[in-house]
Amino acid sequence: MKDRVPKISATVRERNGSRFAKRIREQGRLPGVIYGHKMEPVSVSFDTRELVPQIEKGEKVFKLDMPGSTHKDEDQMVLLKELQFDYLGDTIIHADFARVDLNERVKTKVHVRLQGEAIGLKSAGAILMHPTNEIEIECRVADLPDEVVVEISGLGLNELITADKIKLPAADMKLLTDPHSIIAQIIEAKEEVVAEAAVVGADAATPEVIGEKERAEKAAKDGAAPAKPGAAPAKGAAPAAGAKPAAKK
Amino acid sequence: MPLMPKRVKHRKEFRRVRDRKATKANYVAYGDYGLQSMERCWLPGRVIEAGRIAAQHYLKREGKLFIRVFPDKPISKKPLETRMGTGKADVDYWAARIKPGTMIFEIAGVSEAVAKKAMIRVAMKMPVKTRLVSRRVVV
Repeated sequence: MKDRVPKISATVRERNGSRFAKRIREQGRLPGVIYGHKMEPVSVSFDTRELVPQIEKGEKVFKLDMPGSTHKDEDQMVLLKELQFDYLGDTIIHADFARVDLNERVKTKVHVRLQGEAIGLKSAGAILMHPTNEIEIECRVADLPDEVVVEISGLGLNELITADKIKLPAADMKLLTDPHSIIAQIIEAKEEVVAEAAVVGADAATPEVIGEKERAEKAAKDGAAPAKPGAAPAKGAAPAAGAKPAAKK
Repeated sequence: MPLMPKRVKHRKEFRRVRDRKATKANYVAYGDYGLQSMERCWLPGRVIEAGRIAAQHYLKREGKLFIRVFPDKPISKKPLETRMGTGKADVDYWAARIKPGTMIFEIAGVSEAVAKKAMIRVAMKMPVKTRLVSRRVVV
């Protein structure tokens, strides 16, 4: 966490729902919610041009400023919990904040930055894979790091770094991510194997319909059984004696 | 042979409404750069295959390509010059449902310049407008 906690101004939203949230966004504001500390959640809105640059800089802890109001959340410290993006993943459309104290222990996600040039990448066809670029930790709000740096310069070909190998910045920090989850791995690019579905042959031109075989078997079995008395005659069969002639079209 | 499912629950399917935007699979999840669709379409399996070949011919053995969509929707089509009626036609091809925002391909292990050139070649094959996006950093 940075030494200076940025202050963000918030206004309580009177009306909730997607239509009202859309109108708020059109006014250049960002809808959000503040919850936690066993108090009622409060729907608020922020100035987009004030909050979004701070979030993009990596800020996570803010001090709420509610000018002209006597709201209980005035000067409350809040932690950014979740962001929602639009369908293209560019624009932030909603932000979740949790009420926190600086000495409180919280669970949060931290960005992982890979540092150094891995020795394994010098061999031909080597690729650095990093399936995730964030880890979940538990720590004091005051100790919350901006990012966790992982040194990969010693990483060779076919070697990997798992989450439990990461050195956390403070001793009392606890890793919540699965310790076996891969953070960085150097693999060798192999000749692309054509997907299994693509080489199964001509039979694969029509996929198997689940349960169709069973249904066909059952129908065949039922067909072999003797017909019930009074059952409709098969197509083209002679009508039963005494049956009414079919109406002419 | 283009991608298609091995087993299906129903042989044919309704067309269904296509007016939604992507709410999932709309971010770079596996690679470093991705090709994101800006429009909606039914992307045939053969087009996905064409895109894969275009990218891999450019990348050669460098980097890793991820295909984020799978053609699991059967599209039926009546033969030419046939009268209407007599039931739903046979399946013509299999398509992936692409919504605005859907990530179609991803590339890992290459520089941005190489990824851009590879994705431009892939984008030529796509029937929709696309754009190159990189992995999101904001937590």
